[in-house]
Amino acid sequence: MAEQTHYEVLDVPRDAEPGEIERAWALAAATWAEDSLAVYSLFGAEDAAGVRERVELAWRVLSDPEARRDYDATLEAEPAAPEPPRRVFAAAAEAAPPAAELGPALRGLDDPDDEAEFAAFDGARLRRARLRRGLELDQIASITKINPTYLRFLEEEHFAGLPAPVYVRGFLVSYARCVGLEPRSVAASYMQRFFVATRASERAKPSP
Amino acid sequence: MAPRTIAVGGGKGGVGKSLIAANLAVALADEGRSVVAVDADLAGANLHSCLGERAREACLADFLVGREPDLGKLVADARIPNLRWIGSGPVHAGFAKLRPARHAELARGLRALACDFVVIDVGAGVHPEVVDFFGLGDEGVLVLLPEPTALENTYGFLRATLHRRLELASPSEEAQARIREALDPRNERGLRTPLDLLRDLQSLGGDEAARCEDALRRFRPRLVVNQVRSVDDIRLGFSVASVCRKYFGLDAEYLGYVNYDDCVRRAVLAREPVVRAFPESDASVYLKRIARKLAASAPGAAR
Repeated sequence: MAEQTHYEVLDVPRDAEPGEIERAWALAAATWAEDSLAVYSLFGAEDAAGVRERVELAWRVLSDPEARRDYDATLEAEPAAPEPPRRVFAAAAEAAPPAAELGPALRGLDDPDDEAEFAAFDGARLRRARLRRGLELDQIASITKINPTYLRFLEEEHFAGLPAPVYVRGFLVSYARCVGLEPRSVAASYMQRFFVATRASERAKPSP
Repeated sequence: MAPRTIAVGGGKGGVGKSLIAANLAVALADEGRSVVAVDADLAGANLHSCLGERAREACLADFLVGREPDLGKLVADARIPNLRWIGSGPVHAGFAKLRPARHAELARGLRALACDFVVIDVGAGVHPEVVDFFGLGDEGVLVLLPEPTALENTYGFLRATLHRRLELASPSEEAQARIREALDPRNERGLRTPLDLLRDLQSLGGDEAARCEDALRRFRPRLVVNQVRSVDDIRLGFSVASVCRKYFGLDAEYLGYVNYDDCVRRAVLAREPVVRAFPESDASVYLKRIARKLAASAPGAAR
């Protein structure tokens, strides 16, 4: 690994955007972390620590525009730089909120948005969209300032635990923005489910 | 045109290989592809139950022992349109040993089947027979769980597969000896990773080095992480793909993940494919997504 460039260490192309470099670094840091499932059986503790250092060095250089420029200049001075690693995954960057807002999110699988076959946005579909963006509920809570319990109720469709409809609609709009879904369609579709279910449960209540 | 042959394996037992193989086969059939699902798990055949079928007497074992020379005659229609299947037969320890000549015939027989996809469910373990069954697929899907034991076995399986592919690609005795030597983790040549071994073989130069490199380049396993429960579990697929590049020198692709979903268990208990029994469940959405990605991807990624 000693002879690899910083770009090769992080598995990014030479022209990677800062956001892509940050995601790659977050992944490398998780991959080579001390308790990482992915490496412990292949690499000894010392080797893994060595790679971690190498990853951090690459990140320090590539995350600092000035240091990166200088480093690129030294690479260009060398004869015939090796081909950058082929990019297997397309970064799901287009629709993602800016990295500064979220911190390093997961590098996305290049999955198409293939759920158009389902007409409705239900709780499970919201959760799937969230996981695709690599976000835990806590992260959404800290961005949207919505109580994580309510967010969980949204996903679980625990309608009785949710506040008045006007608040629920607001939650949905914020949630949808966060996970890259179209807020208006999400709110309209989910609220329909919400009203149908809450009316049904009210009818089921014995009259006073 | 020859079908795309996709082997589903992964080293450890119980990670969901049969389940994923069966549901990918059903999902591909539902997309209008003609599919033959093949149970190549001779020691623990149960693909039929995952497909919602009953075990049949005519099975792959008949072909392997030479009782039925025509593999096509063992193919049975499934209840699901576009889907056919070959069972593996009742558990019989004696069948597991496969003569190399028979293996080549099986590979030819599978490619001669008239369909779009052959999905091969491979058994657990790293026995040479299992590794060679995995090699029957032009393309390989590795199923893993976000658990230490599963990952240890996945890496063991990858290592065994890689050595086998290098062995098949390099006929010279010198190269064969080096590959065998590298299997011992404390070998004297200091070859610690498969990548080291490849570099060592490259030092032999010439035709052989190129063939080994080609064998590695053509082997592009696709990873599926099963039973994910958190973002960390999903991230593991990326980490394993990255380790595959850095340790094994393999260009692995993270194909997708399937979440931990009680519907899967309920479908298995009902002996139905989950994508049919609970088509709108989380697990079905993920499985169908993986099938679509597989169908849309370039064929023949590994041979």
